[in-house]
Amino acid sequence: MEAFLGGMMVLADPFILGMTVAGTLLGVFVGALPGIGGSTTLALLLPLTIGISPVASLAFMGAVYCGANFGGSITAILVNTPGDPSASATALEGYKMAEKGEAGLALGISAVASAIGGIFSVIVMIVAAPLLARAAYNFGPPEYFALALFGLSMCAAVGGDSPLKNLIAAAFGVALATVGIDLTTGVERFTFGFYDLTDGIGFVPVLIGLFALAEMFDQASRQHTLGKLLKLDTVRIPGMAEFRKCARSIWLGSGLGTFIGALPALGATTAALVAYNETRRWSKHKHEFGQGSIEGVAGPEAANNSAVGGAMVPTLALGIPGSSTTAIMLAALVVQGVRPGPHLFNEQPTLLYAVFASMLAANLIYLVLGLYSAKLFARISMVPPALLWPTVFVLSVIGAYGPNQSMGEVYLMLFFGVVGLLFRRHGFSPAPLVMGLVLGSLLEESLKQSLLIFQDGWVLGFLGRPIALLLIGITVAGLAAPWIMRLQARLRGATEKRAA
Amino acid sequence: MDKMEAPKGSGWRRRTLLSGLGGGLLAMPFIRPARAVAFPQRPIEVVTHAGVGGGTDITARMMMMQAPAELGGDMTVVNKTGGSGAAAIAYAASKPRDGHTLLLVTQSHILTMLRMRLPAQFDDLVPIARGTADAQVVMVRAGGPLASVAALREQGGDRSLKIGVTAVGSLDHVTSFGFARAAGLRQLSAVPFRGGGDIVVNLVGGNVELGVLNYAEAEAQITAGEVLPLLVLADERLAALPDTPTAKESGIDFSAMVARGYCVLKGTPEDRVARLRDGVLRAMRTPAYRNYLTSSGQAAGSAAGAEIWARQLAEYQSLSREALAELGLAR
Repeated sequence: MEAFLGGMMVLADPFILGMTVAGTLLGVFVGALPGIGGSTTLALLLPLTIGISPVASLAFMGAVYCGANFGGSITAILVNTPGDPSASATALEGYKMAEKGEAGLALGISAVASAIGGIFSVIVMIVAAPLLARAAYNFGPPEYFALALFGLSMCAAVGGDSPLKNLIAAAFGVALATVGIDLTTGVERFTFGFYDLTDGIGFVPVLIGLFALAEMFDQASRQHTLGKLLKLDTVRIPGMAEFRKCARSIWLGSGLGTFIGALPALGATTAALVAYNETRRWSKHKHEFGQGSIEGVAGPEAANNSAVGGAMVPTLALGIPGSSTTAIMLAALVVQGVRPGPHLFNEQPTLLYAVFASMLAANLIYLVLGLYSAKLFARISMVPPALLWPTVFVLSVIGAYGPNQSMGEVYLMLFFGVVGLLFRRHGFSPAPLVMGLVLGSLLEESLKQSLLIFQDGWVLGFLGRPIALLLIGITVAGLAAPWIMRLQARLRGATEKRAA
Repeated sequence: MDKMEAPKGSGWRRRTLLSGLGGGLLAMPFIRPARAVAFPQRPIEVVTHAGVGGGTDITARMMMMQAPAELGGDMTVVNKTGGSGAAAIAYAASKPRDGHTLLLVTQSHILTMLRMRLPAQFDDLVPIARGTADAQVVMVRAGGPLASVAALREQGGDRSLKIGVTAVGSLDHVTSFGFARAAGLRQLSAVPFRGGGDIVVNLVGGNVELGVLNYAEAEAQITAGEVLPLLVLADERLAALPDTPTAKESGIDFSAMVARGYCVLKGTPEDRVARLRDGVLRAMRTPAYRNYLTSSGQAAGSAAGAEIWARQLAEYQSLSREALAELGLAR
């Protein structure tokens, strides 16, 4: 408790508070720019944080991370271009809402859901970080395999209306995940001798291409027929009725996001996609999904921001980053001479709580920002298309080139821009493709690792892993549910007929 | 810690920023003596296969804090990720061999050269200096059945132990091959993971029985008493692990380390090679660089000259060639 108060006290330091505010503003801004997300920004700022104290630099980076995750949703909603990959699920419903003229409403609910999710996860982290650090040891390859299987089983329901088309897109994603050097055999697969493909198809060019560029192509081809970007007649802050409607999806998203974020190697993007699907599954207004459902914005937004807090757990407690952004924060910590690990909780609790405190503050700052300047942000979409899309294109090229300084990634991005356009034209959704790409390699690797670990007795091996069995059980139940329900309906029908 | 690269961030902007800042600041206090042919004439590019912010990237940037002053010219990092060093090697090979391109070489590069057809091969490397050398440590789960060297040798002779490695055909894989042979164990069955952190977790979780890791990768778990460092694969004990014997003390003639250093490609003029060797080594003998080494859990003396670096590269090349052939992974 003393350490907790000590950590909170750092916010009384004007320099650290200033860094937190600056970090949040910067984070929201870069998050809103497509292609330049929190991880890119932190990488760019890494050398500058070396000069300041560990607490101040961590507070700054934590704030950028939180802000960027929220900022990503602004462009996702307004121009259907996730500023940050984690906002790709938000674009699905958020942009539809904006098209209906409810951009302000979507932005408002996104700010509220993000803040609730973010604060929820930080509180969970404060309470449970030391415990979660221990539980992480029980998560081995068999458990990851079961988790990936669970995720892929949901692909049919993510994205468009047609389960068949969703499955085709997901299968395409899984196929793409096989590109690159196979971890367990060291053999190059489908790289055709390109170095850019040896480490697999990068998420960054795929996401920028599928979302930013495809949108640009789509807009460009419709320009003369529609002649307008978006209708923004009403910019409205959400009221109590909307909050009540979204409460369930916000809590669902917060819980899922914290849990998924806390798993090493899974980050905000997965959390948002899973939350989108679960929100839809548990929603009372399923018919609204795909037409601009406010719940479909709230769930993923709560999830991707709560994943931020969750991802800090394995990063700080185990030294295993849960996302690319936390990986950069980890590097920054090490440069500062702070070594993450379970012992950090005993040795430097104040430092930890200072990070948590700054993240709490960042969540509150962008809540205010999001609610009161939603109208200002909405103006981003009023930028004339002739200015906006060339800018998006330039930023897309830079974003694809930046991480690896490779033109190959730019070509890949252009290729996926065309793929994205074809997807749109033929009624496919890019979301299951992304899920297949993310989960496909996890599924394959963890299965191969499990088989190597269990050696000959893999059946008995899996039977001896309760967490994996539980997850597989949930998957099977989920897949079988429609048949069971149909069977039930038929039995009921039969009894009624007999009664009549 | 080549294994624990942070995912790629964007380097292009910072590079410009750094060279702009660094150029402005550093050019001022140094008035260069006139020379017949000035070297360096333009910024020296340090080519690494690591993404921005990863362990290897930081090593290069730490060297570059002092090296520009020693060499009298700017330096910039070029991050060419992809292909386990293949992209970096190909990029360096595409540049003129005039001393303005410094290739950061790790053992992964040597393995990549053995496994892929690249425009520069092992014989093209001209060693400049070694930057870091981090002894690998054989680790087991604390309180597990392999918690002593005797137990390891006895059980390892009977069955094939499961070892966590970073990838098939990686540095770890070669080390585990060499260690098993030197210790008289049955060939280990390798379970590949994405990084050192994953291996530690799976070691504690009991999914694998052995791991060859650097001290820093498992420091937290060693301190917490969850992981037991069994043998140090170096000639001397580590300062951080005074109670852990070396493999040689236990009668196993084998050593292995994760090393990073700098090379230029064959054809670079001799005098420039000499300037680079001198300047880069001197830049790594500064207190700031030593401080970086010790704070990241590495030996303060791991920066070394071209001779030691050349010998180490050659030894590694021959062990790797053998290991890859035996493991069925050679080109």
